[in-house]
Amino acid sequence: MIASSHSADKKVYEIAKLTNDVKELRSAFVDKRGRLMRLKKESYVEAEMKKKNISISLNPPTKIIVKSKKQ
Amino acid sequence: MATTETNILNRLYFVAGCMFVFALAVVFKLCTIQFVQGDAYRALAEERTIEDFEIEPNRGNVYSADGSLLATSIPKYDIRIDAIQPKAIVFEKYIGALADSLSVFRGKSTSYYKNIIIKARNNKNRYFLLARNISYSDYIRLRNFPLLNLGAIKGGLIVEQTTRREHPMGEIAARSIGYERFDEDGNATRAGIDGAFGEKYLQGQKGKRLKQKIGNGQWKPIKDYNQVEPKDGYDVYTTIDVNIQDIAHHSLLGQLEEYEADHGCVVVMDVKTGEIKAISNLGRNKKGKYYERLNYAVGESHEPGSTFKVMTMMAALEDKVIDTSTIIDTKNGIKYFYGRTISDSHRGGYGKISAARALEVSSNIGLATIADDHYSKQPEKFLKHLRAWNLDKTLGVSIVGEGIPDIPKPGASNWSRNALPSMAYGYNLTMTPLQTLAFYNAIANDGELIKPRFIKSVKSFDKDIEVFDKEVLVDEICSDNTLAKIRDILKNIVIRGTGERMYSKTFSMAGKTGTARTDYANFEEWKKDRKYISSFAGYFPADNPKYSCIVVIHKPSSKKGIYGADVAGPVFKRIAQKIYTDTPIIDEVEALEFNSSIVNADFEGYYKKAQNYKKLMPSVVGMPAMDAIALLENLEVNVKVKLNGSGTVKKQSIDKHQKLQPNQTIFLDAS
Repeated sequence: MIASSHSADKKVYEIAKLTNDVKELRSAFVDKRGRLMRLKKESYVEAEMKKKNISISLNPPTKIIVKSKKQ
Repeated sequence: MATTETNILNRLYFVAGCMFVFALAVVFKLCTIQFVQGDAYRALAEERTIEDFEIEPNRGNVYSADGSLLATSIPKYDIRIDAIQPKAIVFEKYIGALADSLSVFRGKSTSYYKNIIIKARNNKNRYFLLARNISYSDYIRLRNFPLLNLGAIKGGLIVEQTTRREHPMGEIAARSIGYERFDEDGNATRAGIDGAFGEKYLQGQKGKRLKQKIGNGQWKPIKDYNQVEPKDGYDVYTTIDVNIQDIAHHSLLGQLEEYEADHGCVVVMDVKTGEIKAISNLGRNKKGKYYERLNYAVGESHEPGSTFKVMTMMAALEDKVIDTSTIIDTKNGIKYFYGRTISDSHRGGYGKISAARALEVSSNIGLATIADDHYSKQPEKFLKHLRAWNLDKTLGVSIVGEGIPDIPKPGASNWSRNALPSMAYGYNLTMTPLQTLAFYNAIANDGELIKPRFIKSVKSFDKDIEVFDKEVLVDEICSDNTLAKIRDILKNIVIRGTGERMYSKTFSMAGKTGTARTDYANFEEWKKDRKYISSFAGYFPADNPKYSCIVVIHKPSSKKGIYGADVAGPVFKRIAQKIYTDTPIIDEVEALEFNSSIVNADFEGYYKKAQNYKKLMPSVVGMPAMDAIALLENLEVNVKVKLNGSGTVKKQSIDKHQKLQPNQTIFLDAS
């Protein structure tokens, strides 16, 4: 009875610790993802590229689709 | 002797008697506690060690259309130090290094941090704040600083974790994404989407669980299931497109800074579906910095100015009281209406021009004349159109606090004989930018007026809980004929009208500029410091529109510029351009069987050489240098090739058919 109660207590501590880990990892994930999203923003890329003298094209890219003749 | 014995015995009986009575009393007390008061004590014990815990549900996330996180709940950390916990020797040893690290982390000087921590120690502060509300990665960094890395007992580190609502994209659309906040009395402030959908979807339901206290401040669940299971909140998917939003935000910010304006907003809407692709609201604080303060686009009802002329023109065209070619006399730029002058911004006026031209050049007199000539006797006929176009009502968007439009009626306090001519060019009535945009969107959407919407769907993981579809407010705002005419004029405004300065050869736009006076109640004051609202509403591309957009900028510095095309127009143009350059032009070609005997012969020759020469030097004279290098560098022997000049090879440093040595250098001369 006492032994099993203690083992249950031990599990509770473990769960508390794991929950904390989950929170930390989630926090780390959102943190990193937020940073990635900010780095991916076009305005950021534009500013970075300006240093290398590359700016946004005034013309859209052209997609050429070649229709193959299969007979 | 005998006497002494009796005496002792008597005393013994007395003591034994007392002890017996005491024992009885103990037994009695035990029984009372156990049986009489037992229930009360057991209840008390339970109360102290068993508690009903509320389990907080996870609040749902807010996502953009492409699945980027816009709002989520994450743990944040407050870091404190128990300044008297570390031993003196440890404290002395690490305080300098800790102050140094904090200075790198926070930016203030090393001595500053050293002083405040020493002061905290002298004041016996056991709860001294080092950093508040920091992210996980910062927390990990801080935890490894000298002294703090010794932990709670040796170093005095105290970490507190709280869950906070975070916008991972930062400032972008912060106000429209919004939040839900409660004050001490439990009153909620609900801004934006997070606020509007908080209660219904994001919040979730609290769970309940009975727990018993065990050591270390932990609680152990008594049963292995929850009395009430917590229900996590649903995720809300918005219609916001992160890329368009980003461009809208930054181009608006750029214009506001350039023109030192008070505040502004921009909204981009998908023509066919009514989805809001971007919404940005920026206001200036006292320090002159711009940030998302209020949802101006949704909440601020103001006099629209010239963008409203389109409505006037459409009403007149729809009633067939004028045609686009009807000649209107705009005089020399000043005209009297019932004892009041209306003037045009163009000095000297436009004289006699067509109705279409009057709208293109945004003539106040032109539009006021049209309204006065045809509707002064029957204003109801004009107002009927505005009502049919839903302009007197709110759109009923999901965000809380939509501005209420005001369209005066005869008999109202703001109605007079001058009301109608004023309304014709956008004064004496108020609307929000979103309401104006919805109307322009209807023009772009072949006359179908749809409600702007911010939400695509509500999901629980991958399961749709609720999907929002487009809501049609008015099926057809006018005849196809009127629509074609007005679209033509809007297109021409950018080509040769007031929007001329925005014109681009590569992509098309259509829309109407607006420059309205604001805060002019005291006209003398206004003349000293002229305040305007510059706007541009329209859509792009001009034919087959995809997106509609409105830009409104309040109180630009009149020294730098006031006109809609200069202040608001560039924001519109930048967005239109971005969407244009992001959409690839698709070109389809039939498969080409290209046969040229020269090319084929050339290729054959090269191929043959590449096959035959593996270790011997081939003759490359006469070959293009480009081919010669490729050929030599791909031999089985590893050789180096040095080329002088360009074009066709004229000379090779090693004769043909010579055996090549590894790492040998071959010089080629070309011209």
